[in-house]
Amino acid sequence: MDFPQNMSMEEAFALAEAEAKLQQALNESRERFDQAALPDRLNEDWRFGRPHRHAAALAELFDTPSCGEARVLRAGECAVPVSAEDDDLRQTEMLMPTIGSDALLGLHLQQFGAGYALYIEEDTKEPIVLEYSTDSFYAPSTYIMVAPGVKAEIEERHTGNAAESALFATRNIHVAEGAQLRVSLRSSGFARHMSITNIQNLGGRVSHLTQHSSNAWTREETVAEIYAAGEGTETRLYSANRLTGSEVLDQHTRQVHHVGGAASDLLYKNVVDDSATAVFAGNIYVAPGAHHTDAYQSNRNMLLSEKATIHSLPGLEILADKVRCSHGSASAPMDEEQLFYLLSRGIPRQEALQLVAEGFLADATNRFYAAETND
Amino acid sequence: MSLIIRNLHARVKDGAEILNGINLEIPKGEVHAIMGPNGSGKSTLSKVLCGHPAYEITAGSVEMDGQDLLSMSVDERSRAGLFLAFQYPVEVPGVSNANFLRAALEARLPKGEEINVVDFYKQLRGRMKELGMDTKFTARAVNEGFSGGEKKRNDVLQMMMLEPTYAILDETDSGLDVDALRVVSDGVNAMRAPFRSFMVITHYKRLLDYIRPDVVHVLYKGKIVRTGGFELVDYIEAHGFDFVRNEEE
Ligand SMILES: Nc1ncnc2c1ncn2[C@@H]1O[C@H](COP(=O)(O)OP(=O)(O)OP(=O)(O)O)[C@@H](O)[C@H]1O
Ligand SMILES: [Mg+2]
Repeated sequence: MDFPQNMSMEEAFALAEAEAKLQQALNESRERFDQAALPDRLNEDWRFGRPHRHAAALAELFDTPSCGEARVLRAGECAVPVSAEDDDLRQTEMLMPTIGSDALLGLHLQQFGAGYALYIEEDTKEPIVLEYSTDSFYAPSTYIMVAPGVKAEIEERHTGNAAESALFATRNIHVAEGAQLRVSLRSSGFARHMSITNIQNLGGRVSHLTQHSSNAWTREETVAEIYAAGEGTETRLYSANRLTGSEVLDQHTRQVHHVGGAASDLLYKNVVDDSATAVFAGNIYVAPGAHHTDAYQSNRNMLLSEKATIHSLPGLEILADKVRCSHGSASAPMDEEQLFYLLSRGIPRQEALQLVAEGFLADATNRFYAAETND
Repeated sequence: MSLIIRNLHARVKDGAEILNGINLEIPKGEVHAIMGPNGSGKSTLSKVLCGHPAYEITAGSVEMDGQDLLSMSVDERSRAGLFLAFQYPVEVPGVSNANFLRAALEARLPKGEEINVVDFYKQLRGRMKELGMDTKFTARAVNEGFSGGEKKRNDVLQMMMLEPTYAILDETDSGLDVDALRVVSDGVNAMRAPFRSFMVITHYKRLLDYIRPDVVHVLYKGKIVRTGGFELVDYIEAHGFDFVRNEEE
């Protein structure tokens, strides 16, 4: 190891220690990658998500360093760039639960050191806007920590600038007691987009929205963990997507109720056109003893083409009593009467289709924006 | 210039015939009332005229101001001046009333032109006031969660905004309270003009007392079986439709 010339003994030790720690972390993530299986079609969490074509290709991208740009477009005084030396953040990422992507997370950890951490200790007056963009491959990490009683709004955008752009993001979101957070993720323009999100609700209100558009392949894993009960705590997960061409959207969610007496709600909606494919696999997990849980989960799809495919697999795992849970899924073509109504007012067919489809998705986005973040 | 329906036959796709040879001419400037028992085909006639995909036309023709109506698409018919206020207006979740109307109006402009938003809202609010509608309805999704009467009013609002030449009102009076009935009728009457005509479908004299028809038709089993003046309305109000049923047998 080379030390700079005029460095004190202590400084040299500290540096050596940091480097050793980093090396250890790298080894651990390497191990993790080696031990966990890469996604394949026999893996229940990947069955319909084209792992043979996309997850494998994504894994290969880690052979080259990730390269992209992270920017705070608005109101980001509290934003700190994530650095490879930040051991706490790295540890947090290491502990993230995945839904079938442990191996891929191991790869992500080896390139750890891009993205932003937001430590929000005051109410945001306008939404904080973060953007990650790349024309090759980028692997950023986002950390959002909202302090007790603080109200925040965040928009995270992922933009692919070239035909082969790929992005793999991890997102850790901590909402403290009494905090209120509305956070969205919008991705567009990628050949491959993958995100693993972990929301930890420690007694606040959080609304999360994802919107993916114009990505050839999108894999989303969103796990919300609820650690506190009471009237003031609530976790809402929304998604609204329009798929065209041969796009594939593969979404996996978990609502994990560690304690009883809390509410969670999920509404994922897709409009699926052409020969596109939408996969939704959701799970509500109510831990032993988490009585009086109130959890909902709904996946709704509008099919605009006979060649479009939907795989909808909502699920429940309830290990407590006096629980109110429901899950449902529905997929149907566009309502003929609605379309006729618009046409009968002179609105041309293409535009009418567009309006009805947008209206269908607006249900999810409206609920996201209507979600209380006040009082 | 008029709307001319000749020997129109239509059925539900792969089903029984519902319209059995309708002949009807509505010249511009006139109001024609259509009455008839439940299930006689009044709504079917109005939807067939608009081009509803559930129905198949097996014979006949319809001419609107010299154009072959049946060869036009649903949206073309509307832009050419046809309008139907539905018996059961449809809910369109997530599409606001204002955006919906804007799209409908913009579709009538030459390609690329947009409507003036300020004028649009001014006109919209004015019309809503005429109809006694709260302006908060502009932001609400089309008919979603509207009461029965609110839906009917909303359809009439659309008619006022789109200013059609041939307007069909399918039981617009059903579901309206006494005051709303007057307000809506006043709105329709204000639109009566030499260049516009109305086909008013109703079961009740009350509406036709407000909107006085020039001609009254009775539709029965998919056919116009009687045509006359207001005396026909009085007769039906007093005696019902037994006279047409008896004649048919
Ligand atoms: N889409 C459809 N599918 C099946 N049957 C239909 C359809 N549309 C109409 N019908 C049938 O055709 C007949 C005429 O219906 P229509 O709605 O035109 O009657 P109407 O005269 O408007 O009656 P009302 O006064 O009750 O509104 C009825 O017997 C009805 O059940
Ligand atoms: Mg009817």
